[in-house]
Amino acid sequence: MSEAQGQQGSFGGVRARATGVTMNETRIAIRDLDFFYGSNRALKNIKLDFPDKQVTGMIGPSGCGKSTLLRVLNRMYDLYPGQRATGQVMMDGENIIDPSMDLNSLRARIGMVFQKPTPFPMTIYENIAFGVKLHEKLSKAEMDERVEWSLTRGALWEEVKDRLNSSAMGLSGGQQQRLCIARTIAVRPEVILFDEPTSALDPISTLKIEELIDELKHDFTIAIVTHNMQQAARCADQVAFFYLGEMVEVAPAGQMFTAPREKRTQEYITGRFG
Amino acid sequence: MSATTATAGSVPGPAKNQKISLALGRRRHRTNLIIKALCVLATLIGLVLLASILLTLIYLGGSGLTLNVFTSVTKPPGSNGGLLNAILGTLIQTSVGTLIGTPIGLMVGTYLAEYGRHSTLANSIRFVSDVLLSAPSILIGLFIYEICVEPFGGFSGVAGCLALAVIVIPIVVRTTEDMLQLIPPSLREAAVALGAPKWKMIVLICYRAAKDGIATGVLLAVARIAGETAPLLFTSLGNSSALGSMTTPMSSLPVTIYQYAGSAFQDWVQLAWVGALLITIGVLATNILARFALRGGR
Repeated sequence: MSEAQGQQGSFGGVRARATGVTMNETRIAIRDLDFFYGSNRALKNIKLDFPDKQVTGMIGPSGCGKSTLLRVLNRMYDLYPGQRATGQVMMDGENIIDPSMDLNSLRARIGMVFQKPTPFPMTIYENIAFGVKLHEKLSKAEMDERVEWSLTRGALWEEVKDRLNSSAMGLSGGQQQRLCIARTIAVRPEVILFDEPTSALDPISTLKIEELIDELKHDFTIAIVTHNMQQAARCADQVAFFYLGEMVEVAPAGQMFTAPREKRTQEYITGRFG
Repeated sequence: MSATTATAGSVPGPAKNQKISLALGRRRHRTNLIIKALCVLATLIGLVLLASILLTLIYLGGSGLTLNVFTSVTKPPGSNGGLLNAILGTLIQTSVGTLIGTPIGLMVGTYLAEYGRHSTLANSIRFVSDVLLSAPSILIGLFIYEICVEPFGGFSGVAGCLALAVIVIPIVVRTTEDMLQLIPPSLREAAVALGAPKWKMIVLICYRAAKDGIATGVLLAVARIAGETAPLLFTSLGNSSALGSMTTPMSSLPVTIYQYAGSAFQDWVQLAWVGALLITIGVLATNILARFALRGGR
């Protein structure tokens, strides 16, 4: 793992992604995954591997199932009756979609950042501490340390360190989204899911989030759903293209955007539909 | 984009009759003025009625507002009585009624919004609660009379509190459910995505996000029961001795107003006006204080 990471680092930046980047060992392996909204089959026979400590981008037109797949990974669909998944989503030798899975600890291991920033109606400090308190018992000093650590990793510390006790609702949209990322990191997950994390943000905030994702992949396995193909090209190590509930093609980002194997992929990335 | 031959000033496509267009514009403007005038008129009618009630209350009630009102209990006509027992009774019954009714209403509302949703049980509860919300309060008085006054051999403060609690419940159920449903799913998902069990999501996130609305519901309920007369007639009745005893009959401002306002004695009628003023001020003060407290917490 660490060798692969070192190798990854030595390629450095965009170039690594543009050329034949080596995929790390698999962190999450999806096999034969089907997903149903009631009787509507939204994902069909998905097979996809998420390499450890790398970014997997998922692209495709609206309604193609990419967000659905993301919500399978942390079992978010369990909130809604009538939604179910069949197949295998293996992480650490366990099937995530097994009904006996402990969902709360699964979600501590697989964090999620949503499309719209969702700060809780409490102070910045409490926003971070909320998730930590669910899984750990920390002293005040340890919690302070954790809050600073995660806000620093979330590239927000400098902007909020003097107002940790003011409401998180007063932050700008981009800051709120970075707070949500910091909140997710604070729980110390292994995997972070991003569901169109920048679609509600301005270009500057988007850039900051993208830089942050680039930084975070040294420690976390990342899956990102995006409508923005430039974003996928900038952030992702490997990209998967979804269409009508199928995973059409997965390839290293550089190859995906220069030489896709499938015609449908090519049509989508050249803007002929979607 | 398709305007390839269009020159400045002329837009391609069907021609527009400028005259008709202007006439339509004038008509829109007239209609707007009429609707606006009607709205202002309706507002004025409402405000004038409200103001006249308040002014009458202040004028007639204020003149009888002496220290004696707060220090002596209700007495026979002509013996300089006060409202101490009624004030105390209303304070006790309103607060205990709210304290009993609010947690029950809160939990039922939470069940409806978070757990039951559209199950048969939830739909039935919702229906019954809404019926109760609009049920005449005298029926609630009779109900408590049957289960709490008759079997235990007499009117009591406890019975009065229970009757008021029954009125509080459906109000709090309705507002709690409505407020919880207003919380965006994304906020719930964000809490759950951090690994929060459902009850923690509800208690730590949803209640917090909905606290203003839920508090408003509780305040509505307080305002409503502070002025309720009918349910208390059948339950706590009235009492000028045994201040604060829950097992004996207990006075209240609304019942005292009901008894005094229609009486033939000038000093009793005066006290009824004072009582009405006190309820109004009390409810108003509670509202304002709660609003300040909520704003301070934000």
